[in-house]
Amino acid sequence: MLKKLLPLFLLIVALWHQSAYAESANQKQYIFDYANLLTANEKKELEEFAKELSADYKTAFIILTVNGTNGNGIEKYMGDFYDNEALGYNKPHGNTAILSIDIQERDVYLAGFKKAKVYLDSGRLTVIRERLTPSLSKGDYYDAFRYFIKASHEYMGYEPNSILFRWWFQLGVGILVAAIIVGWMAYSSGGKMTTTERDYFDPNGSGITKKQDRYLRTTVTKVKKPSNKSGGGSSGGGTTSGGHSYSGSGGKF
Amino acid sequence: MILHYTCPSCAGDMNFDADTGKLTCRSCGRKDTIENYPEEMIKATFAEDETNEYHCNNCGAVLITLAETTATNCSFCQSAVVIADRLSGSLAPSKVIPFTISEKEAVKAFKKWCGRGLLMPKDFMMSERVKTITGMYVPFWLYDINSNSKVQAVGTVVRTYTKGDYIYTETSYFDVMREINLNYTKIPADASEKMNDDLMDKLEPFPFNELKDFKTPYLAGYIAEKYNYTDKEMMPRIEKRVKEYVDTFIAGELSNYSTVSYKTKDIDIKQKNSAYVLLPVWMIYHDYNNSEYIFAMNGHTGKVVGRPPLSKGKAAAWFGGIAAGAFLIMKGIAVLIGGGYL
Repeated sequence: MLKKLLPLFLLIVALWHQSAYAESANQKQYIFDYANLLTANEKKELEEFAKELSADYKTAFIILTVNGTNGNGIEKYMGDFYDNEALGYNKPHGNTAILSIDIQERDVYLAGFKKAKVYLDSGRLTVIRERLTPSLSKGDYYDAFRYFIKASHEYMGYEPNSILFRWWFQLGVGILVAAIIVGWMAYSSGGKMTTTERDYFDPNGSGITKKQDRYLRTTVTKVKKPSNKSGGGSSGGGTTSGGHSYSGSGGKF
Repeated sequence: MILHYTCPSCAGDMNFDADTGKLTCRSCGRKDTIENYPEEMIKATFAEDETNEYHCNNCGAVLITLAETTATNCSFCQSAVVIADRLSGSLAPSKVIPFTISEKEAVKAFKKWCGRGLLMPKDFMMSERVKTITGMYVPFWLYDINSNSKVQAVGTVVRTYTKGDYIYTETSYFDVMREINLNYTKIPADASEKMNDDLMDKLEPFPFNELKDFKTPYLAGYIAEKYNYTDKEMMPRIEKRVKEYVDTFIAGELSNYSTVSYKTKDIDIKQKNSAYVLLPVWMIYHDYNNSEYIFAMNGHTGKVVGRPPLSKGKAAAWFGGIAAGAFLIMKGIAVLIGGGYL
């Protein structure tokens, strides 16, 4: 019986991992250098690079540079940009990883949408951001952008950090649950003890004859609230005005 | 049945004195009216030619039948060698719960129970007849218990709250003392050596409001086993059980504390009363794959206990089905959280 079911299992596992995206690319442009940080040649090279790597995981790697955001902040600007431009490789408002820079405030913000939100969670984006911040600070924008595209592409190839998304963990939970239930079925097949103390308890004359609760002392301990801020940056993500949720990590350079 | 009136003071035998109309103790002279005499002190023994006792040479079981009934096979091992003996003078049960489920109903109920066995082999469930079914009165002691407990402990009440950037944990300590008096009535323990204790415990509950005064005609058509253990010998099992009951009560009583660490916990368990009773059990023997399976059925409620054979194929099917289902649910959860991209 088990032998018959095993192929079925493997088939289910395999099917889940062959999620096919048939849509054609929605994304035509990848580098939006409004702050003119790149030379024409660098821009062209990065455009090619981003286009090539974006295809692998059907996720658009976008670079966005601006000079001032009218006081909105780079995160909000980036969110509006995603909404308005309908970014996404597989479809409008689709899978997108975006690096955004406000050169005026020297702010950098990395975000992941849809599939990239899961694979490039805030923790991973923070790792990438911390690695490329030195290049940004030095003014090596081309290197930093190239690194973002390369590193994001790499992380997209590994399953998300959360153990919940690992297929072997899911299978393990399934097997564990089945083992517990079947084990319980086998254990209880011979009948269970169904009487408790209530069946034999005689309330007549039963009860508490003496009782004392004497207050002794109170101790108070305090711990600092855990904060998820790291290295002067912020991570967490949020939701754009258009209602698209994202993972994110931002900071100064 | 011969009734003995034991003296409540000195445990000697009391006789009825026709002159005073009272029960009089021959040793210490105590007098009691029959109306005031405590019922639980009456000891009944079997009279001569009332019952037979059979010893099985094969497994050692001791069975009691009506004098008219001749046991030909041992109800436990089915062995044919049984030696009859007269049973006069030995302790008779004081109460009995008669069978309310007939043999036919018992077989039907057993078949129904088999039908619900999710892991049983199909041919075991489907087999048309049981090999042997025997109605047996199993000897039990019923205990009335009083327990006195004294508990001393330190309990804590924990409160957490947030103020500013800090999380505060406030722990208040209390010195806790409880004295608890608990009564339990009619806790059963089987006095049979042959019967598996766990199996008999699982047969509960027996409706003790259905207890009748024992009379030998109740044995007609059935076999009773003689008790192997006295109430004193079975007391440790009862103590263990009552201790668990009392522990549960204490834990419930102190449940408003977040943590409780016990300094002292003295549980004193006393036997107030015990009664020798016979409870109805159908013993069912079933053959499957050259081995014999034994089941017991509560002769009043029809509850079946006993370990049935397990079908590996069915277990594997359940295992596979549940594992696949749980796996899909986990996938579903991951998809919901992951936004549908995994």
